[in-house]
Amino acid sequence: MSVMLLEPREFRLLDGLRLNPRKSFGGKVRGERLTKKKGVSIEFDDYREYAEGDDLRHLDWNVLARLDAPVMRTYRDEEDLALYVLLDSSASMGFGEPTKYSAASKFCCAMAYVALNGGDAVVPRILGRKEANPITMRGRANYPRVVAWVTQSRDLESSSVGLTASLRAFAAQSARAGVVLIVSDGLDPDIASALRILGGRGHEVLFLQILSDVEIDPDIEGDLRLLDAETGRATEVTANSYVLKEYRRRLQEHNQSIVDVVRRIGGRYALVRPDQAIDEVLQHVLKREGWVK
Amino acid sequence: MTLQNPGVLSILLPLVGLILVLYILKMKRRDMRVPATFLWPERVEEIRANALFQKLRPTWLLFLQLLALLLAVIALAKPQTQQKGLAGEVTVFVIDASASMSATDVQPSRFAEAKRLALEGIRGAKATDRIAIIEAGPTPRVISSLSNDPAREAAALDQLQPSDAEGAVGDAMRLAAALVGGIDGARIVLLSDGDFEHITNFSRGKAAVVYRSIGTSDDNLSVSALGAAETPKGRQLFCGIKNHGSKPFGGTLSLYADGKVIDSLKTPNIGPNTQWGRTISAPAGARIFEAKLDSPDFLKSDNYAVAIADPNSALHVLLVTKGDLFLERALSLDPRVTLDKSPDVPASEMAGRGTGAYDIVVFDGIPEQPVKARGVLCFGAAGTSSPVTASGSAAKPKFVSAEKKVLLDNVDIGATFVDKQQVVRPKASGEVVAQSSAGPLVVTSQDQGKRQVYVAFEPLNSDFPLQVGFPIFVANSLDFLTGGSSSQTLSVKVGQPFSLPITEEAKLTSPDGDTTVLKPTGSALTIRETRRVGVYLLDVKGKTQKIYASLRSDRASTIRPEKNLDLGGGEVKASQSPSRFADFWRPLILLCLLVLAAEWWLFARKS
Repeated sequence: MSVMLLEPREFRLLDGLRLNPRKSFGGKVRGERLTKKKGVSIEFDDYREYAEGDDLRHLDWNVLARLDAPVMRTYRDEEDLALYVLLDSSASMGFGEPTKYSAASKFCCAMAYVALNGGDAVVPRILGRKEANPITMRGRANYPRVVAWVTQSRDLESSSVGLTASLRAFAAQSARAGVVLIVSDGLDPDIASALRILGGRGHEVLFLQILSDVEIDPDIEGDLRLLDAETGRATEVTANSYVLKEYRRRLQEHNQSIVDVVRRIGGRYALVRPDQAIDEVLQHVLKREGWVK
Repeated sequence: MTLQNPGVLSILLPLVGLILVLYILKMKRRDMRVPATFLWPERVEEIRANALFQKLRPTWLLFLQLLALLLAVIALAKPQTQQKGLAGEVTVFVIDASASMSATDVQPSRFAEAKRLALEGIRGAKATDRIAIIEAGPTPRVISSLSNDPAREAAALDQLQPSDAEGAVGDAMRLAAALVGGIDGARIVLLSDGDFEHITNFSRGKAAVVYRSIGTSDDNLSVSALGAAETPKGRQLFCGIKNHGSKPFGGTLSLYADGKVIDSLKTPNIGPNTQWGRTISAPAGARIFEAKLDSPDFLKSDNYAVAIADPNSALHVLLVTKGDLFLERALSLDPRVTLDKSPDVPASEMAGRGTGAYDIVVFDGIPEQPVKARGVLCFGAAGTSSPVTASGSAAKPKFVSAEKKVLLDNVDIGATFVDKQQVVRPKASGEVVAQSSAGPLVVTSQDQGKRQVYVAFEPLNSDFPLQVGFPIFVANSLDFLTGGSSSQTLSVKVGQPFSLPITEEAKLTSPDGDTTVLKPTGSALTIRETRRVGVYLLDVKGKTQKIYASLRSDRASTIRPEKNLDLGGGEVKASQSPSRFADFWRPLILLCLLVLAAEWWLFARKS
């Protein structure tokens, strides 16, 4: 794997793509995203009466000539879009071949690259541990910092905070609303409520769920004591056809609950496997579902 | 249900305890790390080995294993069930086909009822039960050997016919014992009315004897006596009627002479076990007298009797011998002969005044003595009254010559090896018929109404009894001694086999009109087909001989159904519904295997 995590071919695929949020969000700095705020851009928004002190450059001379009334042209402002990249680093992400975490890292990098390339602000966050003050990255030149951030976060066993708790903590921060990209396996029983809170904060949630074959079609049998990778909780089961069937039913119900919540809060959801290539995910998931354009 | 081995049940509780201990041992499970456990159902099935104790949790596997154990232990205890029915695992049905079984006190007849019971037993038998059927007629006969083919057994049973003869039930029982006496749990089922000769020398072996008594009444009259005799008053015909039942009743007696009715009379009510007789004048010249009784009794075959007024049609023969089965059998084969056997001549038969009881006396190796009988046949021991005078003995004489006499018709005496013979010299009345190197071999004489045949050797000192000509020689001798050839009319006892010196194929027509073609064996024609009372016609090359078969047997006419039988080895009581013990462990083992299969299937599914 490249030190940039993505291959040149994949960079070429990502070049020219832009994030395609359903909502418009206010930014902090001038950027390339139209906002609802009035400002300086070439995108006409409305007319208003002239007020003293207004910049005469925006006076509509044609209207003044026909109606003899000074009318000002107003424009939509263009600001940057905040993309919060939330990477799940809980212990459960260490399963799969390749591991879900490595695949998630690549997807995060890809989406961050798209955002940086589009002039958006990228705020990377690690789910599963307490983190120092987040940094905001802008511009393609910051992509290596994203890679460094992903690489430094690889110690999955040191996760101390649960997925739900991390999401709640993120929602509790007074960060400006933006697009929240969550790349996670979603294996937390309370994740739906945390997502609902995120939606309530005005974020547009993009939930990219990564599940490996270990979760989707577990190949186990016999009398087992299952140990939870995150909590260490033990569950005794006799893995037979009934149990496996029940497990699959519960997994489907759990995933469906995530899908329902994400759609209810106006977000987007996609399920991928860790062995899927970036181009395949781009082509068949992200582009088709309108995550990027 | 009973248990043959109840002690096995004592291992049930320890084994149940062992299984329960295995179930309360705590399972040692394999640890496996998974991404999350909240999706896994808390479902635990204890199906494998354990290490530490835990609380017993009832499961279907435990239930099935306990059930299989219970079934296996009960099967080991060898349970048996008691079942009603005539047939056992190995059964021989002995069906009495004697005359008394034709009684109609049970509709349609006792014999038909016996067949019905046997058929019921065959149909009620299990598929693995083996059944044989023996007919206890005049000669016992295995009509179906041991098999488990109900269709074949039923077909054989259907072919079974009653007879009017006395049945050899004893021989049939011995035959049955020989068939199954060595088999554990075998059963001999006797379907009879119990009216047969007392059985001796019977050993049932390992088999059980079940006697099913058939019959309800003993009402029976029989023609017990019929005979013509020359008296000073002329020829008289005596007829006797006997009541064999337990209540008095009578009937109508009709007497015939040469087929014409000569008298018909109503008998008084005859008391139980009482004989009533009537003597009437018989027409002169008549030869065949018949008596027919019409009465409301239950056995018809003994209501008929025949008497032939021909001195040669019935011969009373006394055999004076130390024992010679060959000679005895050769004499018995002649249907005219009523044979008595004695080691010496009774004083009443010695020559003197009056007439003797015997027509012919046969001396077999015992010196001939003067007797009242009109014919004497002497083998190897000439006496003072013999037509020869003895002068010594010779060993291994050579045959020299034989005259062409009727006595030696169809007899090749030249081929006979004689080990020892008497050396004799014929008297003036003696005519030498055959000659050997040691002198006369066969000598005959006729003098003053008395005829004699002398044979210079004893049958047992030669191979003569083993030759086909021996019974013919005996029959020819009887013909010679009675002064003529065999009568054209015979009276025989029904069911008793007899032989006639006939070398041609013959056709026998029964009273029912059925015909049977008989082929001679060697130089004699043996007739066994006279099973029913009546007149048989024997047609030999167009020449017809009448054979009258009648049943005159006190034993056969007694039709009182016997409730208990003495079979030599002990008393056997009549049983209505004999029971049998059937092993029940096979279905249990099968069920146990099914339960184990279900347990395995469940285990495989849970695994």
